[in-house]
Amino acid sequence: MGRERALATAVMTTLDPKSRAASRGMSDIAIRNLFIIPTIVFLIVFNIFPLLYSLGYSFTDFRASSPAAANFVGLQNYRELLNDPFIWTNFAITAKYVIVSVVGQVIVGFGVALLLNRDIPFKGLITTLLLLPMMLSMAVVGLFWKLLYDPSFGIINYVLGLGRFEWLSNPDVALYAVAITDIWMWSPFVMLLSLAGLSAVPKHLYEAAAIDRAGTLYTFFRITLPLVAPILMIAIIFRTMEAFKTFDLAYIMTSQPTTEVISIRLYKMAFQEWQTGRSCALAYIVLIMVLAITNIYVKYLNKVKER
Amino acid sequence: MRSKLTGLLAGLSITLASSTSAWSQELTIFWAEWDPANYLQELVNIYEAETGVKVTVETTPWSDFQTKAFTEFNAKGSAYDMVVGDSQWIGAASEAGHYVDLTEFFNKHNLTEVMAPATVKYYAEYPSNSGKYWSIPAEGDAVGWSYRKDWFEDPKEMEAFKAKYGYDLAPPATWAQMRDIAEFFHRPDENRYGIAIYTDNSYDGLVMGVENAIFSYGGELGDYATYKVDGIINSEQNVKALELYRELYGFTPPGWAKAFFIENNQAITENLAAMSMNYFAFFPALVNEASNPNAKNTGFFANPAGPGGDQFAALGGQGISVIEYSENKEEAMKFLEWFIKDETQKKWAELGGYTASAKVLESEEFQNATPYNKAFYETMFKVKDFWATPEYAELLIQMNQRVYPYVTAGEGTAKEALDALAADWNATFKKYNRVQE
Amino acid sequence: MAAVRTSAEVAGNRVAIVAVLIITLIFLAPIYWIVSTSFKPRNLSTTIPPTVVFTPEVSPFVKLFTKRSQLREQPTPEEYEAAPWWERIVFDGGEKVVRDGKGNVQWSAYPNRFMNSLIIAITSTVFAVSMGTITAYGFSRFKVKGEGDLLFFILSTRMLPPVVVAIPMFLMYRTFGLNDTHIGLIILYTAFNLSFSVWLMKGFIDEIPKEYEEAALVDGYTRMEAFFKIVIPEAATGIAATAVFCFITAWNEYAFALIMTNRRAQTAPPFIPSQVGSGLPDWTVIAAGTFLFLLPVAIFTFLLRNHLLRGMSFGAIRK
Repeated sequence: MGRERALATAVMTTLDPKSRAASRGMSDIAIRNLFIIPTIVFLIVFNIFPLLYSLGYSFTDFRASSPAAANFVGLQNYRELLNDPFIWTNFAITAKYVIVSVVGQVIVGFGVALLLNRDIPFKGLITTLLLLPMMLSMAVVGLFWKLLYDPSFGIINYVLGLGRFEWLSNPDVALYAVAITDIWMWSPFVMLLSLAGLSAVPKHLYEAAAIDRAGTLYTFFRITLPLVAPILMIAIIFRTMEAFKTFDLAYIMTSQPTTEVISIRLYKMAFQEWQTGRSCALAYIVLIMVLAITNIYVKYLNKVKER
Repeated sequence: MRSKLTGLLAGLSITLASSTSAWSQELTIFWAEWDPANYLQELVNIYEAETGVKVTVETTPWSDFQTKAFTEFNAKGSAYDMVVGDSQWIGAASEAGHYVDLTEFFNKHNLTEVMAPATVKYYAEYPSNSGKYWSIPAEGDAVGWSYRKDWFEDPKEMEAFKAKYGYDLAPPATWAQMRDIAEFFHRPDENRYGIAIYTDNSYDGLVMGVENAIFSYGGELGDYATYKVDGIINSEQNVKALELYRELYGFTPPGWAKAFFIENNQAITENLAAMSMNYFAFFPALVNEASNPNAKNTGFFANPAGPGGDQFAALGGQGISVIEYSENKEEAMKFLEWFIKDETQKKWAELGGYTASAKVLESEEFQNATPYNKAFYETMFKVKDFWATPEYAELLIQMNQRVYPYVTAGEGTAKEALDALAADWNATFKKYNRVQE
Repeated sequence: MAAVRTSAEVAGNRVAIVAVLIITLIFLAPIYWIVSTSFKPRNLSTTIPPTVVFTPEVSPFVKLFTKRSQLREQPTPEEYEAAPWWERIVFDGGEKVVRDGKGNVQWSAYPNRFMNSLIIAITSTVFAVSMGTITAYGFSRFKVKGEGDLLFFILSTRMLPPVVVAIPMFLMYRTFGLNDTHIGLIILYTAFNLSFSVWLMKGFIDEIPKEYEEAALVDGYTRMEAFFKIVIPEAATGIAATAVFCFITAWNEYAFALIMTNRRAQTAPPFIPSQVGSGLPDWTVIAAGTFLFLLPVAIFTFLLRNHLLRGMSFGAIRK
């Protein structure tokens, strides 16, 4: 975390000799610093400083629920966490959730985008309507899905003719049920990005393929997919990151041990069991994973921007 | 900084409160979201009319009541002045200094005599037999049963039952009879099932359900004074009780692996089960025709007896405590003085609250007020509760982890589950230095 | 060119149209179900088969806004007659309206939580967008050493899982008495949205030709004047779009609100699930609360439709 601090001070101290100072009023350098530094400082104070704070606690046995002082325990929290089979179960559940929901979103989202990438009447309106789910609050809409999934009077069982099929109370199915809701909410995101990618594919490529009498599959795999791939990749990485962090949906919809993704475990450890020190250590383990995915994500963002 | 400032102000206000009486005109009580909380709101409205002090009852659902309360306590927040907290919390909340010590208040008003003995023992005192009190018994509660009178009283059913089991079909007097009746009414092809029991493992649902069986089978969870658990929680009768509970699970409606009070009331309103376990506090919805189409055909009975004739029920219910971080502690104490008055307790019972006042409970008037009050009265003198030690939350999680897979999925045996639980609890008590060896 | 179409293509297109329509219906069904449930009488909300045709009622909204408790005795005919229409609705549901000591009808907590959501979302949006805009201008127009790293740092603060940040924030807020305060949540949401706002606004400002300001500077404007009089008006659409995105994010946020608020500053997302309550949930009331809560976002989605792509990709992809 020291890196960001060093960078921030770098901004404050290094002056750029080439920037042109206006003849009167504040110099450009002063304006630049005035415009940038407060934001950086604000983000450091409210994002980086708390993380340093919790880094410190992650080496202690501190419990926020107890008046007792924190004792330094070294790496014990990390060691115990990494050797705790329950935590690895939570990571495994998270991984399963990420795979199911992201794959589902890509299939549905990209599929719908392919359908929409034609002459469809009211295309604009339909696209906007389809985008609605992803704008809504996961917690509030997730709650309502509990009614839709209800085994005795939910419309899902009724429409699909599943009788009294248990979605959320069956430990083997609950995670998939939550993932289905997530797919419903976020396929539109993949669709939106895919549409942008598809519309950027030059028309003449398709015409050339048609002249060569190339098959539909050939056109799809040799022209469409490669050209849409970078943007699709952004969608996939972004959704992977979000699915990895997921908390709201699973927490609201069900409390099965089989749906306890890592964020829920972390929440319970910190705010129900009050193992503050240990939860800070787990938070760091999660944090490092998220930053790794973020790094890949930003690389792709910049790549697409440069095109 | 602000907390120091408010702390200073609170200190100031206490010294000022004696001279300027109406310094603060508002009190907030935190409780779970259920009808008793609305009855309490109606009760405290009377207090407002009398004194001008506005009292608001704020609620949150049961599923996150504990989390929210302790988040607020640990944030040292002053959003609430009083909390009607669960009986198990008392150890944790008193040891961490979240609750104001009410021992003096208790002795001054002789509350050990005024309130029913079980409520004093489980809602107010911590540690056991210490003579230290942390809350005023407010809402008594225990687990009871509702059943479908129309199914039980159908002559055809009665005849068939008698032919099959050799005795008359009636609300069960023993757990063995309850098993028979559940089996008798369990007809999945008719979309009718035997029994609804607690199975939810996220808080204390499943544990309360299993406790009902354990206590009635003559078992205990452990020795609450010495923290000895081995040979007690995994005793022979407890194993039998747990096996029976597992057997009852086989007669529940489909999807019953996550059932608590909502589902168990639905079992009656939606014609799913013949009998349903629930806290008494959830029964008002079952006698109300707007929420229960079968209201006229719903009856109630107290927890049946075990094989040895023991008849105990798992305790619910809460006491009201003053929160240490409140800015209106003086005003809250005044409210409590009003709350414990006989007239107030009588009014509380009339409004639908389950008073803990022994005098009111014993009155004819109370016992005849609803179809379930009599069963409630009978139950309140034979209740037992879970551990109330500060680490009760961990004990609860461990019990859920060990018992849930056995009850709902038949993993392992009852003996294995309880042996493992005894080992878990032992380790926990060692960790917190509860057991000296 | 494309004007000449084979019959297979036309048929394919028809199939696509039908498929799109079906998919749209499936995607909108849950939302439709929320809206329709919020106008249903309670006994029709959980029927099998599901009730699709019914006479709409406002009773869920009456119940949403009033504090109620179970009736144990039916009201007398006189009481019923004397009651206003909305109170009769509550009576019909087997409940009564709770009144305070002075006899005033008590509101439910919903309007209060809704107001908290509005106050917190709007204030944090104003802060995040104004700080974001000037910072984006700084990055867009001036050379900043280590710009790429700084922008990555800014973005990464947004990617942190809320629970990870919430643990230390909870402890810090406890020290300063900021838990369960509006200010506390506003600061958190500002920090959360600021990075997004910088990234998105940088894209919008990059598109405004530098020459506009250069010309103004030549005309004797100071850099500040040029920023406020030239750049800000040019970027107005971008600012509006960014603001709406920030508002929606803050409006929908759940995890921080769950952990850091309890009563005074609690927002609607952690509150609405708590209405499920105990006993038997009244889904019509939950639907009514959900419907009102989703309405602003649904409207904004339509207003924002041309900027959604840009917003969702942090400004990386423009149309």
